[in-house]
Order: sequence, then structure tokens, then C-alpha cells
Amino acid sequence: LDYRTLPRPLDGDLEPNSFLEMYPMNCDPRYLRLTTSAIPNSQSLVSRWHLPLGAVVCPLAEAPEGEEVPVINFASTGIIRCRRCRTYVNPYVTFTDAGRKWRCNICSLLNDVPGEYFANLDATGRRIDLDQRPELLKGSVEFVAPTEYMVRPPMPPLYFFLIDVSISAVRSGMIEVVAQTIRSCLDELPGFPRTQIGFITFDSTIHFYNMKSSLTQPQMMVVSDLDDVFVPLPDDLLVNLSESRNVVETFLDSLPSMFQDNVNVESAFGPALKAAFMVMSQLGGKLLIFQNTLPSLGYGRLKLRGDDIRVYGTDKEHTLRLPEDPFYKQMAADLTKYQIGVNIYAFSDKYTDIASLGTLAKYTGGQVYYYPSFQSNIHGEKLRRELARDLTRETAWEAVMRIRCGKGIRFTSYHGNFMLRSTDLLALPAVDCDKAYAMQLSLEETLLSTPTVYFQVALLYTASCGERRIRVHTAAAPVVTDLGEMYRQADTGAIVSLFCRLAIEKTLTSKLEDARNSLQQRIVKALREYRNLYAVQHRLGARMIYPESLKFLCLYGLALSKSVPLKGGYADAQLDERCAAGFTMMALPVKKLLKLLYPSLIRIDEYLLKPSAQADDFKNIMKRLPLLAESLDSRGLYLYDDGLRFVIWFGRMLSPDIARNLLGPEFAAELSRVALTENDNEMSRRLMKMLKRLRESDPSYYQLPYLVRQGEQPREGFLLLVNLIEDQMGGTVG
Amino acid sequence: MSEMANTDPEGIDAVRMTWNVWPRTKVEASACVIPLAVSIAPIRSHPDIPTLPYAPLRCKSCSSALNAFARVDFTAKIWICPFCYQRNHFPPHYAMISETNLPCELYPQYTTVQYSLQANPDPNNPSNVPQLPPVFVFVLDTCMIEEELGFVKSAMKQALGLLPEHALVGFVSFGTQAHAHELGFSDISKVYVFRGDKEISKEQVLEQLGLGSAGRRPTAGYPKGLQNGHSNTGVNRFLLPASDCEYTLNSLLDELQTDQWPVQPGNRASRCTGVALSVATGLLGACMPGTGARIIALVGGPCTEGPGTIVSKDLSEPVRSHKDLDKDAAPYFKKAVRFYDSLAKQLVSQGHVLDLFASALDQVGVAEMKVAVERTGGLVVLAESFGHSVFKGSFRRMFKDGEQSLGLCFNGLLEINCSKDIKIQGVIGPCTSLEKKGPNVSDTVIGEGNTSAWKMCGLDKSTCLTVLFDVSSTERSNAPGTANSQLYLQFLTSYQDPEGKRMLRVTTLTRQWVDSAVSSEELVHGFDQEAAAVVMARVTSLKMEMEDGFDATRWLDRNLIRVCSKFGEYRKDDASSFTLNPCFSLFPQFMFNLRRSQFVQVFNNSPDETAYFRMLLNRENITNAAVMIQPSLISYSFNSLPQPAILDVASISADRILLLDAYFSIVIFHGMTIAQWRNMGYQSQPEHQAFSQLLQAPHVDAQMILQERFPVPRLVVCDQHGSQARFLLAKLNPSATYNNSIDMAAGSDVIFTDDVSLQIFFEHLQKLAVQS
Ligand SMILES: [Zn+2]
Ligand SMILES: [Zn+2]
Repeated sequence: LDYRTLPRPLDGDLEPNSFLEMYPMNCDPRYLRLTTSAIPNSQSLVSRWHLPLGAVVCPLAEAPEGEEVPVINFASTGIIRCRRCRTYVNPYVTFTDAGRKWRCNICSLLNDVPGEYFANLDATGRRIDLDQRPELLKGSVEFVAPTEYMVRPPMPPLYFFLIDVSISAVRSGMIEVVAQTIRSCLDELPGFPRTQIGFITFDSTIHFYNMKSSLTQPQMMVVSDLDDVFVPLPDDLLVNLSESRNVVETFLDSLPSMFQDNVNVESAFGPALKAAFMVMSQLGGKLLIFQNTLPSLGYGRLKLRGDDIRVYGTDKEHTLRLPEDPFYKQMAADLTKYQIGVNIYAFSDKYTDIASLGTLAKYTGGQVYYYPSFQSNIHGEKLRRELARDLTRETAWEAVMRIRCGKGIRFTSYHGNFMLRSTDLLALPAVDCDKAYAMQLSLEETLLSTPTVYFQVALLYTASCGERRIRVHTAAAPVVTDLGEMYRQADTGAIVSLFCRLAIEKTLTSKLEDARNSLQQRIVKALREYRNLYAVQHRLGARMIYPESLKFLCLYGLALSKSVPLKGGYADAQLDERCAAGFTMMALPVKKLLKLLYPSLIRIDEYLLKPSAQADDFKNIMKRLPLLAESLDSRGLYLYDDGLRFVIWFGRMLSPDIARNLLGPEFAAELSRVALTENDNEMSRRLMKMLKRLRESDPSYYQLPYLVRQGEQPREGFLLLVNLIEDQMGGTVG
Repeated sequence: MSEMANTDPEGIDAVRMTWNVWPRTKVEASACVIPLAVSIAPIRSHPDIPTLPYAPLRCKSCSSALNAFARVDFTAKIWICPFCYQRNHFPPHYAMISETNLPCELYPQYTTVQYSLQANPDPNNPSNVPQLPPVFVFVLDTCMIEEELGFVKSAMKQALGLLPEHALVGFVSFGTQAHAHELGFSDISKVYVFRGDKEISKEQVLEQLGLGSAGRRPTAGYPKGLQNGHSNTGVNRFLLPASDCEYTLNSLLDELQTDQWPVQPGNRASRCTGVALSVATGLLGACMPGTGARIIALVGGPCTEGPGTIVSKDLSEPVRSHKDLDKDAAPYFKKAVRFYDSLAKQLVSQGHVLDLFASALDQVGVAEMKVAVERTGGLVVLAESFGHSVFKGSFRRMFKDGEQSLGLCFNGLLEINCSKDIKIQGVIGPCTSLEKKGPNVSDTVIGEGNTSAWKMCGLDKSTCLTVLFDVSSTERSNAPGTANSQLYLQFLTSYQDPEGKRMLRVTTLTRQWVDSAVSSEELVHGFDQEAAAVVMARVTSLKMEMEDGFDATRWLDRNLIRVCSKFGEYRKDDASSFTLNPCFSLFPQFMFNLRRSQFVQVFNNSPDETAYFRMLLNRENITNAAVMIQPSLISYSFNSLPQPAILDVASISADRILLLDAYFSIVIFHGMTIAQWRNMGYQSQPEHQAFSQLLQAPHVDAQMILQERFPVPRLVVCDQHGSQARFLLAKLNPSATYNNSIDMAAGSDVIFTDDVSLQIFFEHLQKLAVQS
């Protein structure tokens, strides 16, 4: 199989539109995508499908202006739900009996229409108030939940920071960037004036901060008893931001200097985490951990591992990708239970056991940000932007999510960063627009008799404004009896997303090689199955055939095999890097994941040289190139963008003028030592503007530009060439 | 009364002895009833004491210091030690001595001399001796109402302003948890927090403060460079010169809040006094050995959390009373005492002092903490509020300089040498036995015994110790005249003075041995009845604490009867024939008042008050202690100068003002008529100037007492028949009680009591003393 003959996804993710065409009242695919929009009616069809059958849900996906999800307050009426299966009223329910009854589209039960919700039906059987009822018109709505949806008063948005202040943290400059960024975001934290905030710093001891609003400056309270951590104050370690604003600002202003002379090399991370948990457990909220030194004291202390090359390729290899100490999984369970979501920011220049630390993020619905060998002068801006995004993006608090579906089918497994509270309830203490979850379906009965099946995602959460809400996404899909139709209605993006999560999970129980093999086998089986359907009638011989919908599947499959969590062996990625990428990819929405798997490579020197009149013609020049070494012309300047970072490649024969314009006097230096800044010329400005626009298209991560000149080895190799996945050298080819 | 008016009965030596001539044998000594005891204020200042800029010569055999009683052979340049008769050669620098050129310590009038010592002087620059600055660690309770905290904060701020600039200051606050404040951390205020409910060792304190010797964990926010020799331990993060941290501490106090942990209704605040003191002690443990340091504990309530707990949090359970202690129904008491006992050991081994300022309406645990305060030589003040003048005045006084200074010294070491046949039983007072055994150490132990050396971590000008002696010889001197007829005692006290200088005070005493079996007359004339009364009070208090079921009243009565039988003159079985030599005549009245005093009638007070009274009884000089037992009463009237009045209800009169000094309280009591005139404002009318002067006189006298006394006594100003009058009446002899008030004079008063009056007491005493 020659990958070079395959079509390339140079236009990025293409959302399947057949879904919406068939069922225009469905929710937008940005919220819910099925791996195929044709649901098989029988077990035998499923077994011949070979690809995962399931869905990818991004419940809070950002909507473009004008397409926001409408908020509906039923007030005293109460939320209309099916008495039996608890489905929320949606466009697919039907009203009968002159408007006095409604039939549930999921379980078919005939429910009474409450008096306050009653409306007469017109001649066609539609409610006469239909156009004023968004919940009966739109696939995505949000209900304001009455008190029975609360087990306690809605919590305020709460941000708690756990910051490593050991010597390596100080020296990296991380503390300063973090303090400045938090300070600059104070006005934009969601939920004013209810927002709560608190801090703990730690090295070999734990430092709490009393932020009581009446104080002129915060009080630092050190607890050194690591075996028996306790909270030094009943209140004021977590404070209302608007009331204690001055104290919080004073704290953030003095934080960097407070520890500038710290020479402590230890990390009491575990005890500090316990401490943070104890302070937060009353309310829950978001815990942001800034970690720089391998936990060395108290519970949860970790040791160096992963540098024993002999473990790789054995049955024990996968244990390196699992948490070492049960403390981390237990803590994650406790944190989730108390509505605390964890984001890990890890900065170490040494092994820091992301596998263990990341567990905290994984099971609390959080995220791992990894900045290996962080130096504030180089990576500061990335941290600043990503932390700011984390702090200011709209967040849903103390959430739970459930996806319901019609009779005869059932969701059987869930994949992503969360904790499963019961068989089908995902606990998501703090969830935002950048998180997606995948789930697999199976058929319960031998045959599905209905022509259509319905799916309904319900996310019950507390909005930052303090309202308890339920976001409901509803979609319908046809039931088919034809395998070919299943393939034709397939959604490669959703399939790859599910595959990606399954493969990463597999690396936690098996060798990398096994994970790659099982992925490839499923793709091969699926394509063979499809080919068998049509080979005879089309007499295609040995040629590969695939439906239009799956034309990029092979290449994405290859890209997935070459992605950081899966690629190669011991030497091909640092253990921490691999684990971090795994945690990240488990949470990515479809579009973002596809971009990461098949990044864009564009030639930009021509654009930069164009007369200014055409400078606005931005779209046209964004012509993506195949990820092949042949795509690179040594006279050109190329931009590689995988959504997480930029690589700017300077061809060996590139005009020195361009290099000088962009890099200034240092243009001839080794590029690893050159930072890209805006120079006072049109070309430089245009490049920076271009980077800015690319970043703005997806603010969830901030791409830091890495500069490399053709032939600068090994830098060119690991920065770019390794990512040209279609080439042999871009990793092992299956 | 006349004796009490003596200006300085203690002389240059600051010594009072129960007996100023000593019986020769053990049998005779025990027949004397009143123990052989010396009360000494080892560093009391006296204008006649010379200070010598060198170290004393020591006997090479018994190491007693050269003194005025040594026999000197000027030609042979030899001195003979009066204690052991060892012949010692004078060193070369004494070569110049002669009968007309004596060193100061050989002058007969200088029985007490002081030596100024310098440890390890720098040979190149003798004036550049590193002097250790005194260390003050304040330990402040925050479990109190805002108002009280306000009072104690302002007292502390005032104290900070009075500290010498180079003194090092530390601060620990506590409530539910204990907070050690890192005063050297400049960015924001920083505390190390310790659980209140967990006992913590010195090592753990040091480790958690980042002062561990292992140095495994360098800690944040310093160094500030070398400072007072502490830099290598990092303790200067917590202890800063007063001049450097006054601002920090003041603003810290401004922001300091009452304990933030909620108190459940019906509960006491959770207060971890024990842990806080452990933390302060541990912190000082990181100081250089030999540094003079004191922990000043400001406590506003009982410890209810962790080690040292004296009562549960449940308010329905009262703090233990004497009755509970008696019935062994105080479940926390023994455990808390054990804790403070071990704290005392740690403090003593470090050479540091615990001062206790307790201000609360209820008890705070002075009884349990007594052991740590007393053994370290700490100060103790008990008041009912931090706003009360007893606390405010005393606390301020502690830091006063100059005339008013208490002269707080550190790191005292007392050693006693004595003649053969004299055994030391022990010391009652603020010190700890160093368990230094020797031939002069008695097997019978009273107080801090089993030793001839004692540690006094804290001592001051007025600190007083009672040393109890025994005579070991069983035989009378074989041949009168041949044996030495004089006995010798030497007290050597080395200490660090408030400036940090090392001093040594040497007091050498001599007294005469007498053969009392031959005649008791010499003995009688050597009796100091005031000293005897005080020693009896001290011994009684000690026995009450140490001996289960000890009946103090009976014991005192029995001893008093024995004294009267032995030293009285009477015909057997004829009570009317009984007379006492003037040298003994006041003693029965002292005993009468001691029996009625707070020291014996403990059930009228709380165990905290009793502990407080006893600590002061044990550390004050004889004159002051005598006032505690038997208050003085002065009467003011138009017709005469102020004059002593008898301590009897009969002294009350409508046209008199009485001034009662009961040591812990001073009462100005206006007779009915005086009060009426005052209420009518006569004192402000020019024609009644005499009345105005009469009104003022007792106040002026009271002020004089208030100013010189530490702790500052409570001043009660009251009128006859007023509610406060009970403070006077409680101390008066009930010669007129409701039982015998028929023949009362008009304007006199009646005491509602069943106490026996002095007169009846005497009658009984005489009857019993003459019984065969
Ligand atoms: Zn239903
Ligand atoms: Zn001698």
C-alpha cells in the first residue's frame, strides 16, 4: 500500500452534512457526531462494519455568533421530561390527543402534557405555539433547572492554584509568568461577583495563604507536618475575589519575589495536593496545579522510571504509562466526588512522571499542559496565553453528562477524561468548550424495528452566573439494513476520534506495537469488507476502493500510528512527552485532533513577497501541502502548524533578504538561538499578522513558533521531518 | 510590728535564717521544731557589695571561693579554707598581699562580693567579647474576646518599645493551632502552623521550622547574613533584634485576629497552650547554648486541646477545684502536670525561662503550669483581665529600665558549700536541682534536693530561695573549745546579667554552734520568728502539694505546741503561768494567721490562685512573705500620725481610714463617717484641708507599695459596709463575730464567720503547751 496515492485531507475536517440534511432539527455536528449516520439494524451488520460504532460529543462546543444555544426557563411549569426514560422534550416528540398528550421519541411512552405547557394542535397536528417553542424546534437547547436538580445551592466559580515554588520552579521563571497571568486575568474570570479564589504554594512544606478581605496583605501559613496534613484556618484560604481583590493582587505581586532566593529542591506535592483538596472540598471548583519537581516527600512521592530501555517491548512496558502510586487514582476519585476538576501544568526539564500526575486530570475531566524544560523567556508567551484561555473560557461547574438513545441500542463504553459515576453518568467537575468525549454503541436486540433512532445528550451543570442548567442536544439517525449505506454515511472525523481514544487506552494495557497493530487491522478489515461489497460488481481487481466518506481514513490511521502517544519505541518520544500527548488527545474535539494528526504545511515566502494590495487575500495562499519532504522547496519558506505549535522552515536557498527581514541582524545565526519577534518591515509584520490570524482561528492552544533552517540537524529532524508522516522517516510504517 | 519596720533586716548578704545559732547535733536540731533554714536573695543589689573584675580563687580541695573567713599566712602566702581546712597557696598575682594590702574579698565586712567574669575573652581585644543578647519569645493566646485581645496587644506593643534594641524577639500566637511567626520574612507575614491536638517533640519543632540539624531542607526567604552568632542555625528567621522587628511586629499585631476557628455553642474555645509552649521552647532550643531567653506566655483561658489540656471543651464540665484534686476527680490534672514537668526539663536543659501572665475570669491552668514556671525561675502574674491594672502594671514593669527595673537575669547557677556536719536537704523556690551529689547532701529531701547545685534559668534582684539544712553529727562536741565553734556556709551564684555579662556572686556566712542541751538561751536569742513563720508557711505549702491527705492545720498546731512547750516558760499543767520570751512572742500570732491564710485554707480559692500564691510565697523575701501570711494594717485618723493597727475587727472605726496590705491586694477602707464626709465633698472645701490630707495619705502610701511591688497588687478602695469591704474583713481577726456581738461598740463591725478568734486560739495553745 502506497500512502502517496491516497487522497490527502488538505482541507482539514469536513463535517458530514448528510446528517443535518436528513434531520434538519438535529443538533449541530459540533456538539455530536456519530461514526456513521446510518445505524445498522442488526448485529450481523455491526460485525461486518469493523470500524467503531459510536459518537463523539463536545457538549459545550463554541458556537459562532448568532448560533448560540437558546436558554429556556420553564419556571413553574417544570421541565418537560418523559415519565419513564427521563428524556427531555425535544423536536422529535409528537403531540396527540388534541395536545393533551405527547409521545416520547426515545421510549414511545405517551406522557400527559402539564396544564401550563398545554397548547392546541393545528390541523396538521402541530402545536399552534410551535414557533415560540425553541425546545420543539432546535436540536440544542438549554433549560434553566429548578431546585430539584440541585443537591446544594449552585456553587460559585472557583479557581484554586497549587504552585510549586522549589528551586527549579523559581529558576524556570514559571512562577513569575503564572503570577502575572493570573493577575491580568482577574477581571475576566467568569462569575463576577461570586468568583472564589485561593492559593497554596509548596516545596518541602505547604504554604497556605490567608486572604481575608480585611487584611492589608496576605498571611502565609506554613504547614510542615507532611504525614498529617491539616488546614490552618477554617475560612479565608478561599476567598471571594471581588471582596479580597486587593489582598489577592498584593499576593500575586509579591509571589515571585517571595521565593526568588528559595533553594529548596524538594517537592511535597502529594501532601500539598491533599491540602488543596481539604480547602476546596466544601465547594469544589477548578484546581490548577503548576508542577516543576518530581514529587519527593510525603504520600504520592514518585521515583524516576522509564529510562530502563529493557522494559520496552516487554509485557511490562505499559506500566510505565500508568500511575505508579495508587494515591493518584484515589485522589482523583476523591476530587471528582467533591466536584473538583484538575488541570496539570508541568514544566520540568527532567522526568516528572506525567503518567502519574496526569491521572489527576484524566479522572477529574481536566487537562494536562506540558512545557518540558520550561524557560520563561522562550515559553513564557505560550504559558501566558494558554493559562489565560484556561482561566477565562466559559466553564460549566459541577456537571454530569448522560447520553440517552432509543430502544434496542445502548452506549456501552465511554472514552476520554472523566470519571464514570454510574454505568452511564459522566462526572465532569469543571468542563469547557475544549473538551470532547467519545462513546461506543452496541445493539441490544438482534433487530432494530424502528426506522429512526434518537440520541439525546444532557449536560446538567452550574453556569458561572450561578444558574443550574441542563444543556440538551438531540439528534435522530436512520436505521439501515445495508452495510454499504453504513459505510457511505460514515464520519471519518468521528471514527478517527474514537480510534484515537481506543488506541491510547490500549497503550495503557499493551505494548505500543500492539496498539498500532490493532488499529491498522481494523482499518484494513473495514476496507476489505467494503471492497468485498463492490469488488465483484465493479471488477476492480486488486485496486483499493473506499467510499467517499472514508477516503482519508487510511492516512489518518497512519498519522495516528505516528502520533506521539503511539509512535515507535523507547527512543522515539520521551516517556513524559508521550503520556502528556496521550492525555491531551483523549480530550480533543474532532477538528482539533484531525489538525494535530495531519497538520497543515504551507509555503509562505511568496505570500510575504506579494505586493501589499493582495495581502488580504489570505485564504488563497493557505494552500496546504502534502506532508512529504518533496513538498519542501529549498528556495522557500514554509509554515508547519499542528494547532499546538508552529515550525517555520527556512529553505537553504531562501533569499537572504527574506531571512534578514524576518529575523533581523541575526538571520544567519543558528536558528535554535533566534526568537521570532516583529521587525520593523512589512514582511515581518505580515508574517506576524498571519501567525496571529492562525492562532485566532483556534484559541484553545497557543502555537509557539520554532525556527529551523534546512539541514540544521538534528533539530530539523525532530522539529519537522519526523512530522512529515507520509515519508518513511516520519516514523515506522505499518 | 517593730521588727517589720526594720529597713533592711537582711543586710549586705540578703540572708535571713530561722536560727542564727545552730544546735550541734541532729537530736537537738530536731528538738528545735523549726527547721534550720536560710532564706537568701542570691543577687539582691546592695550599695556596699564590691564588684571585682577578676575570678575568685578557689580552694583546690572543696572549690569554695576565697573569703573573709579564710585564715591567711601572709609570709607563707598561704590561705586555709574554712570549710575543709585545706592549705592553698596564693597564685603569683597575689604576691603583693599583706596585712595592710588585702584584696577586697578578704575584707571582713565584705562577706558578699561580686565577680565580673568573662567567658573566653578575646586575648587581642578584651573589650570585644561577644555578648549574647537576651531573647524574648512572646506566646500570645488569641482565644479571647476582641476587647481582651486589644488590651493584650497594646500591652505587647508597649513592651516592644521598652525592650533593649539588641534584644532578640520572637512571636508565637495560638488558639486551635499554634503559629510561629517568621519575623525575618520580609515579603508578607508568614507563620508556621502546628496542630493543636498533637504532642510535638523538640526535634519535630526544629524540623518543621526548617531548623533541623540535618539541614536536609533549606528553607525559604533568608538569609539576612550573620547575626548574633545564630546564623548557622537559621534561627534568626524567627528571632530578630527588637529594633529591626518592632515595626513588623506592630503591624502584625494590628492585623492579628482572635482565633478564627468556630466555637460550638456550649463549648470552650479550643486552645492549645501546651503545643504553643512546646513550639516556643523548641524554637529557643535552636539558639546557641547559654543564651539567656525567656518565653513570655500571655494566656487568656484554659488549655482544652492537645498536651497540657486541663479541662474538656464542654462548658458544662467545670475546671477542676481543690475538692476535685482532693478526691482525685480531676481527670486531666496529672497528665497535664506530667507534660509541664517534661517541658520544664527541656527548658532547664536549655537554660530558658517560662513567664506566665494569666488573665481570665476562670482558671487557665496555673496549677498545672506551676512546675515549669517555678523550676525555670519564671515570673507569674494572675489577673482577671488583660485590661486590669494588675496585669497592665506588672507587664509594663517587667520591661522597665533603670530604677524600676526588675533586673532580670539569666542562666543562674547556685552552688552551696558548707562546713562538715551540715547537710543540705533541699531548696524551696524558683530553681531546679542539678543532682550534684556530695558529702554535704542530705538523704532527706525537701523541695529541690539531692544536690549541692541548682539551675536558676531566670532570676532577678528579688528572687529568694529557702535552703533547708540538717545537722548530721550525732555526738556533742567532745571537748568544748577544741572543736571549731563556728560553722560556715557559702553561696556561689553565677549568672548572666541584663547586659549579657557573666557575673559571680559569693556570699560567705558564719554562725556559731551551740550546745543547746546545756542551755537553750543562746538558741532563743538566735531565733528569727518572722523568718521561721515564713519557712513554716513554705514547708507547709510544699507538704500540702506533695503529701496526700496532709492535714496542714493539725501539723501546724502540733508544731506550734511543741515550740511553746520547748521554749515557753511555765509551770506544768498551769496555763496561766505560761509566758514566752519576746524572741518568740509574735510567732503564735503568725501561726494563727497562717492557719487562716490562703496558703492553708485553700478551699476558699481555686487551684490556680493557690499555685500563684505559693509561687510568690516561695520566691519573695521574708518581709514580703510575712505580709502574705499576716497582712499589715495601718490606721489613719485626725488625732494621730498613721500608726499600725492590730489585725483585728476591733481596729475598724467610723472615723478612721485603714490601709491593709495583704501583699496580693491593698485595701483602703473608709470608716462610715469618713465616707459620709467624703461623699459630701468636704475634702474640696478650703476649710477642711486636714480632711483632704487625711483622705489622701493612705493613697500616697498605697501608691508607694504599688510602685515597688511585682506583681502589682490589686488595689481596692472601699467604704465600711460596702460590698468591697469583704476584702478587708476576710483578713481580720474575728474578735467580734455574730456569735459574740452583744457587747459591741457603736461604729465597730462584725465578721460573719465561725473562725476561732486569736484570743480563743491563744487560750487553747497555752493549755496544750503546758500539758505534761
Ligand atoms: Zn421516554
Ligand atoms: Zn576547701
